[in-house]
Amino acid sequence: MSAPSASHPAGQVNVWAVVARTFLLALLVCLGIVVLYPLIWMALNGFKDNSQIFGDPFALPAGWSWANYVQAWNQGVRNYVTVSLIVTVASGICTVLISAWTAFGLTRSRMPMKPIVVGFVLGGLMLSPTVALIPLVKMLQSMGLYNTYWALIILYTAFRVPFTTFLIRAYMLDLPRDLDEAATMDGASEGQVFWRIILPLCRPIIISCVILHVLFAWNEYLFAMIFTSGADLQTLPVGLTSIMARHGTNYAVVFAAMTISALPIVVIFFAAQRYFIRGLAEGIGK
Amino acid sequence: MADLTLRDVRKSYGGMEILHGIDLDIASGEFVVFVGPSGCGKSTLLRCIAGLEDITSGEMHIASERMNEVSPSRRGIAMVFQSYALYPHMSVYDNMAFSLKIAGEKKVEIDRRVRQAAERLQLTAYLDRVPKALSGGQRQRVAIGRAIVRNPKVFLFDEPLSNLDAALRVATRIEIAKLKESMPGTTMIYVTHDQVEAMTLADRIVVLKDGKVEQIGTPIELYRRPANLFVAQFIGSPAMNILPATCEANGEGMLVRHAAGGAVHMAMTPPTGPAGGEICLGVRPEDLFVAAGTDGLFEGRVDLVEQLGEVQLVYLDIGRGAPLIAKLPGNQEVARGSHLRLDVRPGHLHLFSKEGHSIARRETS
Repeated sequence: MSAPSASHPAGQVNVWAVVARTFLLALLVCLGIVVLYPLIWMALNGFKDNSQIFGDPFALPAGWSWANYVQAWNQGVRNYVTVSLIVTVASGICTVLISAWTAFGLTRSRMPMKPIVVGFVLGGLMLSPTVALIPLVKMLQSMGLYNTYWALIILYTAFRVPFTTFLIRAYMLDLPRDLDEAATMDGASEGQVFWRIILPLCRPIIISCVILHVLFAWNEYLFAMIFTSGADLQTLPVGLTSIMARHGTNYAVVFAAMTISALPIVVIFFAAQRYFIRGLAEGIGK
Repeated sequence: MADLTLRDVRKSYGGMEILHGIDLDIASGEFVVFVGPSGCGKSTLLRCIAGLEDITSGEMHIASERMNEVSPSRRGIAMVFQSYALYPHMSVYDNMAFSLKIAGEKKVEIDRRVRQAAERLQLTAYLDRVPKALSGGQRQRVAIGRAIVRNPKVFLFDEPLSNLDAALRVATRIEIAKLKESMPGTTMIYVTHDQVEAMTLADRIVVLKDGKVEQIGTPIELYRRPANLFVAQFIGSPAMNILPATCEANGEGMLVRHAAGGAVHMAMTPPTGPAGGEICLGVRPEDLFVAAGTDGLFEGRVDLVEQLGEVQLVYLDIGRGAPLIAKLPGNQEVARGSHLRLDVRPGHLHLFSKEGHSIARRETS
């Protein structure tokens, strides 16, 4: 008699568990659709023409012609991608190296008033780019860097170093000091300890920082718009705006250009997703 | 071959002095063990010798050369860390070769020395593995191998066995002893809080407490002739029983009467202590035996018996203070709650002044 009554509540629990799991799964699928569908819709519309886009916006393209993509590529996107690539890679390398070296100093070296120095470096997180715009324009103009790659590279580096240092420092604090001391006993200089021991061990957080920086630099609009004026120095976000102005009525080309600009970020994120999450979890999750 | 000398070595962090003037001479090829309770400064002293901590004052010499300002890598010292400190992103080979690569040695020479050390430590099969793919014992051997390849003048071990399980600890301890035998010219300094490691490995033991050297001597000297109460209780397991006692002149020797009432005439010990004054009487648990008949220096009720097989620890309530611990043969019948008389040969007794200094030394009988 007791067996059925015992199995009944257990059955109820299972039903609720299945319902909860199904609900969670449905929620995640919905979230996935909300995030991915606009991207897919944009990419698909790059294969249509204007009449198809306005006639049946949610249908699949009638044909898979790359003409709009080729047109967008040839009408400026190639240049914008190149400029974005140069600025993103250069500022990314500078940001990560400066931040890692700073974090090494802040975690490893003996210095007087270290907490104040840490506060000073991380205080940069509080600085609003908008507030600094006018002084920065004046400074870069007087230094002859206005409308050059360097303007964006320097600014992106300067504004990302505090946050990147914050992440790498948190990660380095968890690396055992014994490793530095063992390397010192082995004859390594401070530079060698950094390059050969600490930096390789920081790979997960470095990858996370690189991805975060690429996301920032690739999509940054304000500085890119203010500090570059020539068409040959425009990054993708600024360039896309001018494409929209030029091809305001040709939405298919605009969609194709936007798809091309979003593609590298999506590819990089999915390729390095595992390291990205691990780095952040190990760095600031402990 | 290198002698190591420390003269009035002091180490302070801010206003807090951790090492209070350490004087120590270590002969070339000697195996010296630093022991002491947690926080006594033994690891700090080792790190000062390694150069990982600056010496606040005093002098350190290796092979008559002043080392205070010399960087760790130029002292001719190699160190095995408690945590092994193996580089996790490098293979065993690269871990062992790291110092040689930094020193700019030729590839052929690096390869020869790494393989030689690996063979000696039975690590040849693991050279391509990363540390996380090794067992605790293998990691320990890699840490030792990394030190060996540098041909150091002085080898430092900072509690190298503390992360190993009991069986592996014994095996690795034996390996370290063999390593020492195979490197007779290399001076070794070993830090531990495990007195078994200290007693079995050391040529000499340095007992530290609160940043001061309490006694330096061979393991058997420390066991048989502890300089003070701290050393007497630190060396030996279970610790030496200490009882308050009085002594008074008695013929050519003296009569020692402990707090629970028992008395013993110590004829062979010169009355160098404060005759008639208050002293402390020390007796090691393993020196006690069941007295025949009505004799016996101690008597009381058996509080507890811990049977360990080969021996048993008997806790005897003698009516004063902490129970007296006796290490008796495991096959001896001792029942809890029974009345027991214990005795000790007078030559096995230790006498200490009230301040804790040894005032009479145990003689072999």
